[in-house]
Amino acid sequence: MGDEGVGVHAVRALQKKKLPPHVSCLDGGTGGMVLLGPMQEAQKIIIIDATMDGGPPGRVCRLVPKFSGDYPVALTAHDIGLKDVLDAFYLMGRVPEVILFAVSILPLSGGLSLDLSPEINKNLPQLIKTILMEIQ
Amino acid sequence: MATKRIVVDPITRIEGHLRVEAVVENGVITDAYSSGMMVRGLEIILRGRDPRDAWAFAQRACGVCTTIHALTSVRTVEDALGITVPKNAELIRNIMEAVLYVHDHVVHFYHLHALDWVDVVSALKADPGETSKIAQSISSWPKSSKGYFSDVRNRVQRFVDSGQLGIFANGYWGHKQMKLPPEVNLLAVAHYLEALEWQKEIVKVHAIFGGKNPHPNYLVGGMPCSINLNEVNAINNERLNFVGRLIKEANLFVNQVYIPDLIAIAGFYKDWGAIGGGLENYLSYGDFPTRGYNQPAAFKYPRGIVLDRNLNEVHEVDSSDPQQIREYIKHSWYNYSVGDDEALHPWRGETELNYTGPKPPFEHLDVTQKYSWIKTPRWRDKPMEVGPLSRMLVAYASGVPEVKSLVNDTLKRLNVPVGALFSTLGRTAARGLESILAAQWMQEFYDDLITNIKAGDTATFTRDKWEPSTWPESCQGVGMSEAPRGALAHFIRINDGAIENYQMVVPTTWNASPRDPAGRMSAFEASLIGTPVADIDQPLEIIRTIHSFDPCLACSVHLYDPRGKHIHKIRVV
Repeated sequence: MGDEGVGVHAVRALQKKKLPPHVSCLDGGTGGMVLLGPMQEAQKIIIIDATMDGGPPGRVCRLVPKFSGDYPVALTAHDIGLKDVLDAFYLMGRVPEVILFAVSILPLSGGLSLDLSPEINKNLPQLIKTILMEIQ
Repeated sequence: MATKRIVVDPITRIEGHLRVEAVVENGVITDAYSSGMMVRGLEIILRGRDPRDAWAFAQRACGVCTTIHALTSVRTVEDALGITVPKNAELIRNIMEAVLYVHDHVVHFYHLHALDWVDVVSALKADPGETSKIAQSISSWPKSSKGYFSDVRNRVQRFVDSGQLGIFANGYWGHKQMKLPPEVNLLAVAHYLEALEWQKEIVKVHAIFGGKNPHPNYLVGGMPCSINLNEVNAINNERLNFVGRLIKEANLFVNQVYIPDLIAIAGFYKDWGAIGGGLENYLSYGDFPTRGYNQPAAFKYPRGIVLDRNLNEVHEVDSSDPQQIREYIKHSWYNYSVGDDEALHPWRGETELNYTGPKPPFEHLDVTQKYSWIKTPRWRDKPMEVGPLSRMLVAYASGVPEVKSLVNDTLKRLNVPVGALFSTLGRTAARGLESILAAQWMQEFYDDLITNIKAGDTATFTRDKWEPSTWPESCQGVGMSEAPRGALAHFIRINDGAIENYQMVVPTTWNASPRDPAGRMSAFEASLIGTPVADIDQPLEIIRTIHSFDPCLACSVHLYDPRGKHIHKIRVV
């Protein structure tokens, strides 16, 4: 919903690029533990997600979260989400390398929409470039 | 002891942002208010879109019950356009829905609700040898050696030693209402981890039939998968065999792990069979069609309503009758053009946001005014509880033999009266019993699918009425389902090939809604009245009852969190 969907937009853009064969893109949607399976199969995971951490809209932070407690605040409306998958890795004894690109967004203003705000949209190409560099 | 008001905001280990305010007098809850603190905007986003695309948006409403909104949405459009799907599509949809039930219920039991009853920290003190004895006495599940439980205990110890309780944070460890011995706690923690492994596998069924997961594909008129036993890219022999194996494993996991654990844990908490009852009316739309969705008499789960806990009578429910299901907004942050005291049937439903609550952060909501983003649905002006317990009670009252014998046997095993069904424990037990049925039915649907395919029927889709040129200029439809969390209905009005109005009345709307204009409570609020609270600073009892409904606010409300901050505390004022 709005800028909360920046990850979805980024994944769609990445799917249009030519990626190395060992890289696959997954739109995790609002999935929680459902994502554990596909994520555990990977050696390295790059997560792209929105955060309301108070930063200027469009700012991208590269983080290396180890546990759910390392996640930025209110990453998702869903209390049992991606962050808990990280803890599950540890408990189950198989921990892939996780890199998180957290994109700062502002709370929803104006009407409800599926589109990105101009600020976030403007920064999207730079975000994609950063991710492609990370893949290399 | 004076009157105190406890605020729990947010309720953790659920989907979405729920706030509960409860008034406690002399250690017992005397009044309660439940408030959804985020707004859902899907109705607004769907206006003007192609009805055949609605399912893809609707299923984004939620991360844990993704497929059910897609299913309900395609049923809604099929109802409006008068489409009957082929037999194979019905069976595949049923298999996917039954998989959703079992996956969702297992994850709810072990990963969300169990931590209200199981003390993870206490499990670290367990004697693995004793746990092994207990495990072997209640189940033939093979992973039950002393060495196995000892390894689990060490793994959890290492995690806790890392200083990151993470996934186990927000638990009331050491609370005096935690009644399990350390050995049973260890058993439950071991199965918490096994359930994590198992759930990874079962969801693959969704990817096989729906192309991907999360958010598998659906299709108005059938299912978007082609069946060809010898074709690499189709639903072929190999894929069907794989599904068959996963279904067998699901049956084993439910019957050898989930149910023995449920019964063992329930044995220590029988007092909860008399707590948390709340409303006395139960609604189920019924589900798992076997002869088309327009033949509810042939559903596995019957459609109907139980009133006043009278299990000798079942009332009919018709969602398309404008007098039956209607939503109020007297205490919800919306405006109605007809006035805020009125109720609207969803076909005439309106979604005009009107937040009049206090500016966050705040101490209290003014509950005499509007206090939630959730609307208040009623059936003939009566509040209804929805969910596995409602399905079980409606099926029981309708005389479904497999439900009657399963419920009666379980009551006997636990040595509790029928009245114990109407409780927090009843809700949690109903979810387990339903998993037995869903796993069994999954196998039946699978066998029917194989038989049908072998007889030469490979149709999964009907093109009939796919083209908008074949549609009437305007029409309306309702699609119902029984989501894991309860009765779900989508309502659509189509005009000139596009969505004119789309409304969703979701399970947690029934259960978590604020009071109606007559002051009647909905299920959450009613269920808390009379609940004892032993320690006002750690209101574990509130969490137990609210979690017993498996609340999921992601689809009842969405994204309204003005500062993006969760308060994460329990306030006593």
